[in-house]
Amino acid sequence: MSIEAINEQLLRAIGVGVALLDLRELRFRFFNDTFREWFGDIEIGQQLTDLFPEFDVAAMREAFKDSRRFTTEASFRLRRRTMTIAVTIDSAEEGGEPIAVLVCQNISRIKELEAMIDSYSMMVERNTREIKREKEQVEKLLLNMMPRSVYEEYKSFGVVTPRLYEDVAVLCLDFAGFSEFVVENDAGVVVSELNDIYTAFDRIGDQFGCERIKTVGDTYITVAGMPDPAEAASGSIAHAAVRFVRYLEQRNRSHPMQWRCRVGVSQGAVIGSVVGVQKYIYDVFGPAVIEASQLRQLAQPMHIVGTRAFIQALPDPYSSEPVGTLDLGGKEPEEVFALTGRLDAAEGA
Amino acid sequence: MERSLFEKYGGFAVISRIVMDLYDRLLEDDDVGPFFENVDLPRIVDHQTQFVSALMGGPASFTDEQIRRLHERLDVNDAHFDQLKVLLAETLSDHGVAAEDIETVAQAFEQRRGLVVG
Repeated sequence: MSIEAINEQLLRAIGVGVALLDLRELRFRFFNDTFREWFGDIEIGQQLTDLFPEFDVAAMREAFKDSRRFTTEASFRLRRRTMTIAVTIDSAEEGGEPIAVLVCQNISRIKELEAMIDSYSMMVERNTREIKREKEQVEKLLLNMMPRSVYEEYKSFGVVTPRLYEDVAVLCLDFAGFSEFVVENDAGVVVSELNDIYTAFDRIGDQFGCERIKTVGDTYITVAGMPDPAEAASGSIAHAAVRFVRYLEQRNRSHPMQWRCRVGVSQGAVIGSVVGVQKYIYDVFGPAVIEASQLRQLAQPMHIVGTRAFIQALPDPYSSEPVGTLDLGGKEPEEVFALTGRLDAAEGA
Repeated sequence: MERSLFEKYGGFAVISRIVMDLYDRLLEDDDVGPFFENVDLPRIVDHQTQFVSALMGGPASFTDEQIRRLHERLDVNDAHFDQLKVLLAETLSDHGVAAEDIETVAQAFEQRRGLVVG
């Protein structure tokens, strides 16, 4: 077999589509087997645009003015499959006649893979967005359960170190007649009322730098001066307490359900920590919490009760009146007082 | 958390080969191939990617309602559905997916019969 014959056989059998065209009329003069496999009933003399109706002949002629090469992509159907080929056309001469040499690489698989990657990345992006949204919801939930700085510590280390806070103001509140209310009313009503009131308390507390720690049924505990120390922690708690009472007074005037709170306020040391492993909760406990809870028990409905020391240490002067004595672990029972109002007039609602 | 088949068989790197192989077989098949006759390539590939990914517990976003709507204009009968199930099982088997896992995928596929056939 001659070299020419071998060359021709190679050209015919190669996996690349090769064709020769008369450049003037763009009619096929030769095509190899691969090219024929793609176009089946193609014949010598047929025009290029019969095969590729969208082929940009003008662009090719324009390209040939500057160089001898033109590249493009073309698509066609082979049975049911969309085939895409990368076409390189070189202008050449044969026996004085201008010809075009078409070399076509099958890039269908690349196009299919591109489409698959597009599809997959869209799915992944959508999933990432969903995961982000879920993460934000979890974060929101955890931030409802613990202060942000505690949450950050929990997120970074997976644990929260219990910490002693020396000087924290604590407010402990419950509602007079709550047990009867629960018995007499529908569970949904009870929860909806509590939700409404606690949300208002949270909003008021926020204004004064208080952080709600927990609610247990009708008991609501909020603190000031932790996790970051605050100079006027007791003042914040007193302000919040007065506004809680005022909010309920206002609410009772326009609501059929009457809520009357009893408030104890105190200041001292507390421990703050996440308690529990599976069902964890951020909690505070210690002398100040116990004291606030005991003082609350002495409070008449819609009254705020604190120790003499607490009231005297308030940054703003409050009027108060004695409401009894309480054993707070000292030598003798201690006289405790109800806050009756702020003495300086400069106070908004 | 239990690993999905998608993760077990190597994630997208491997699943992508299954998708492409299944795509070839579907288009070649004279029973189910005609359904893809006049559909754009990116659309078919997108559906196949989500199809395989969903069946193997990977990321996918077609809801049952979307699957139903996508097929409601097509005249898919039980024989077509069965044939696709055979092609799917063959493809998975050729890519080294264990018999019990193919069965899991086939069951997930079978659950959608009502959405596609009819």
